[in-house]
Amino acid sequence: MCGIIGCVGRGDETLDVLVEGLSKLEYRGYDSAGVALSGDRIEICKQSGEIDDLRAALESRELGGAAGIGHTRWSTHGPPTDANAHPHMDCHGEVAVVHNGIIENYQQLRDELVGAGHTFDSDTDTEVVPHLIEAALADGADPETAFRRAIGRLEGSYAVAAVVAGEDVVHVARNDSPLVLGLGEDATYLASDVPAFREHTDRVVYLDDGEFARLDAEGWTVTDTGGNEVEKTVDTVEWDPEETGKSGYDHFMLKEIHEQPRALRQCLRGRVDELSASVDIGDLGDLSPTGVHFVACGTSYHAALYGAHLFREAGIPAQTFLASEYATSVPPIGDALVVGVTQSGETADTLSALREARRRGARTLTVTNTVGSTAARECDHALYIRAGPEIGVAASKTFASQLTALTLLVLGTTRVSDARDLIPALRNLPGDVQEILDTSTAEAVAEEYVDAGAYFFIGRGYQYPVALEGALKMKEITYKHAEGFAAGELKHGPLALVTEDTPVFAVVTGDGEMARKTIGNVKEVEARDAPVVAVTDGQSDVERYADHVLEVPATDPRTAATLANVQLQLVSYHTANMLGRSIDKPRNLAKSVTVE
Amino acid sequence: MSVNTAVVLAAGEGTRLRPLTHNRPKPMLPAANRPILSYVFDALIAAGVDRIVVVVGYKRDRVRDHFGPTYRDADLAYVTQEKQLGSGHALLQARETVDGPTLVVNGDRVIDPSIVRDVIAEFEDTGAPTLSVLERPNTSQYGAVVLRGGDIAELVEKPEDDAYRLINAGVYAFDDSIFDAIDATDRTDGELALTDTIERLMDGGRVRGVRTEGMWVDATYPWDLLSVADEVLARGRVDEPNQNGSVWVDDDATVHESAVLQGPVVVGPDCEVGAGAVVGPDTALGRNVTVGANATVRASVLDTDTRVGAGSTLVETVTGQDVSLGAGTVVPGGPGDVRVGNEIFEDRRLGAVIGARVVADGASSFAPGTLVGPNAHVGTAVRASGTIGANAEVVR
Repeated sequence: MCGIIGCVGRGDETLDVLVEGLSKLEYRGYDSAGVALSGDRIEICKQSGEIDDLRAALESRELGGAAGIGHTRWSTHGPPTDANAHPHMDCHGEVAVVHNGIIENYQQLRDELVGAGHTFDSDTDTEVVPHLIEAALADGADPETAFRRAIGRLEGSYAVAAVVAGEDVVHVARNDSPLVLGLGEDATYLASDVPAFREHTDRVVYLDDGEFARLDAEGWTVTDTGGNEVEKTVDTVEWDPEETGKSGYDHFMLKEIHEQPRALRQCLRGRVDELSASVDIGDLGDLSPTGVHFVACGTSYHAALYGAHLFREAGIPAQTFLASEYATSVPPIGDALVVGVTQSGETADTLSALREARRRGARTLTVTNTVGSTAARECDHALYIRAGPEIGVAASKTFASQLTALTLLVLGTTRVSDARDLIPALRNLPGDVQEILDTSTAEAVAEEYVDAGAYFFIGRGYQYPVALEGALKMKEITYKHAEGFAAGELKHGPLALVTEDTPVFAVVTGDGEMARKTIGNVKEVEARDAPVVAVTDGQSDVERYADHVLEVPATDPRTAATLANVQLQLVSYHTANMLGRSIDKPRNLAKSVTVE
Repeated sequence: MSVNTAVVLAAGEGTRLRPLTHNRPKPMLPAANRPILSYVFDALIAAGVDRIVVVVGYKRDRVRDHFGPTYRDADLAYVTQEKQLGSGHALLQARETVDGPTLVVNGDRVIDPSIVRDVIAEFEDTGAPTLSVLERPNTSQYGAVVLRGGDIAELVEKPEDDAYRLINAGVYAFDDSIFDAIDATDRTDGELALTDTIERLMDGGRVRGVRTEGMWVDATYPWDLLSVADEVLARGRVDEPNQNGSVWVDDDATVHESAVLQGPVVVGPDCEVGAGAVVGPDTALGRNVTVGANATVRASVLDTDTRVGAGSTLVETVTGQDVSLGAGTVVPGGPGDVRVGNEIFEDRRLGAVIGARVVADGASSFAPGTLVGPNAHVGTAVRASGTIGANAEVVR
């Protein structure tokens, strides 16, 4: 996935606005970046590497123009090279285009254009767009018509912005890839995501699929495929412009781990009432599902596993599916509510699974962090996790907020017999997380095992998704081998991997049947001389079999999952930091994946 | 010279406020029901400051996590003072982030916007280093000041007695030559006090002192948080919506219809007040506090996540965050003698100070002036008194 920025109306400041905007979008992809400015002619600068490499390249150049577009790229077609960086141009350098998404029929279009004499510079699917525009212009079309004609030829997903020499205009089209306009006093902005221009304005217009927009000195207009003007609502976003700063931390991820008490308070605010043991999630409270299908990817998938467990315990049949697999073999949905868990609300795999479910007549709900996102607009219902923006590519606070929001969903829509125990535990959760942040010894544990060959994580019940998430975090930011297992599965195969060089993180909370069984599994790995790190609330005697202990406050088994996860987040963070990894922007990864 | 930048000094622990400062520095302690530091930021922003550099040190994560990168419309930047070597040394840490004239403000006292405005006006008028001056009775606890024609004539740190009438209110305006001046100041016992640098400036030219009035509230000892809350409530300086008279209740708080709120009282977001409970007067409940059924809480400051069990009575009590007091806990209130370090303070208006994450199982009583250290566990039916250490296990 990639990030797009555009701007008209800022005169000489256009280039600065674009580059600053790109730096705010860098979390969406960062293997190359570029900008194009239009005036009498198109001026372009693009560079493989991070935004700073682009900045360095711009130092020796003087780019001018009052309308401009920019792009930060995460490769889908072709390696990250200068040539493959966006913007892409036509044969004569009169048209520049940036694009996010995948053009499915690009090979066919490219063959056709090459046959007509066009020369291509890159391996990207995007480059067909400027050449299509060029061809339409050569047929005598005006720039806007030429742009519409080119877009009309595309199949697939796209957010496209184009500039044409000789006018101060940005042409925009959207289909299945996010795009939002920002409305300033005398300028109009365009981006894949609000933070790119949030410092200039808080008034935004979200484009819908099949819509075109034209940004010029007069302002902005949105039209449908037929060219008819569309009335759009103007939303106001609440995020602070500097919410994307690091608050003095070395990494966004550590800042976001530390923000969890605040994020959880926000997630819970006004939603739980201990005195009456009730939960208020607005209209969603009337859903009363008779069955639930979760669809999600990555960290959100782990949260969904947890949510499904909660539903099942409340007597509601619930299953969790990897979103990318759901559409390939859709299970009978019946009356089930289909719940898509997606932080960004733009995850292509999840959107496509939700669309498939809708096509089959299912009711859909998204649990998301992003108001105005595609998922929020397309689903019948949305439950917001209210975590605030998360910049680190590896999800941290949003996982905690997802678990909490899912707990609220279950409490609000089903009959949880022991709500009187769970609700106080939820109210204690922010303070409990704060206690871990104040006292954690995760850094020392990380130091002990920074050179380990692999890391394994085991847990049972509500702690099973935590084991999976602990391993995913370790993989994502340390680039080391890590796997999470249901504790009982260890002896059915993975135990063969366990050696004295593979620390095993065992999440054991409470002192019930499950804890005792997991302790049995801990003894299995201890017998193979593997170091054991127990994440525990001290209720059981797992400490006796552990080399290190990471403590969490004792609480309800359901909220204990969030607490154990905080310790594992810190272990991964500190390990990655000691290894000198690019924690906020791990190699090959992007924050939200808007391609399937 | 317009001033829109401020450096806020928030690196010190405030050791005399122990045990409340175990997990956080003094600026993060509550004035009524939100951190003292938020009042400092409010005053700066009201006076037109839009860029704030916060010097953090002791337990700095707590400051950064609470406020993040912005507060209201102002940008917050954080710089770290690794070792707390005096206020001048703290200010020096902000050198690279400040360009041009700046305000310098202590982050651990509640101040009024008018104090900041007065300092800005005087500085913009004269261009000379300026500090705010207040009339106070107990000058011996602070830096005493003598003014002559609006210039600072004398600056005496913690004078022997209360003979002076004016104190340094800890709000300054300087141009960026202040950093060179601090560099040129000799250290005293390894520390660099900002007031030492100001004395040098007085030798080299004039330093303006501007007499100001308005709210200026300091907490030196834990029980002072009670009077700080009184003053803040008396002026209605709380965020929560006003219900009537001097009762402020957040929209996301739940108060049982049979509970009674007696003003002045403020109830923070997500608080729950049970049936038959009586809260107030002179009481501040922080965020997400629970007061159980039929409990009485009077003249107290209960910080975030405090749980008060059913039927408890708390008078003149200060709790840290995440304190859990079981059913039937009794703190009858002062006056009592309080021991802080090697000093005994007699007849203080204090029921008890209960540190963060203390758990009391219930039916315990706390004698007037009891200080309980953080994470202590008090069993059932204990009669606690004196000073209880951190992590202590107290049983009957």
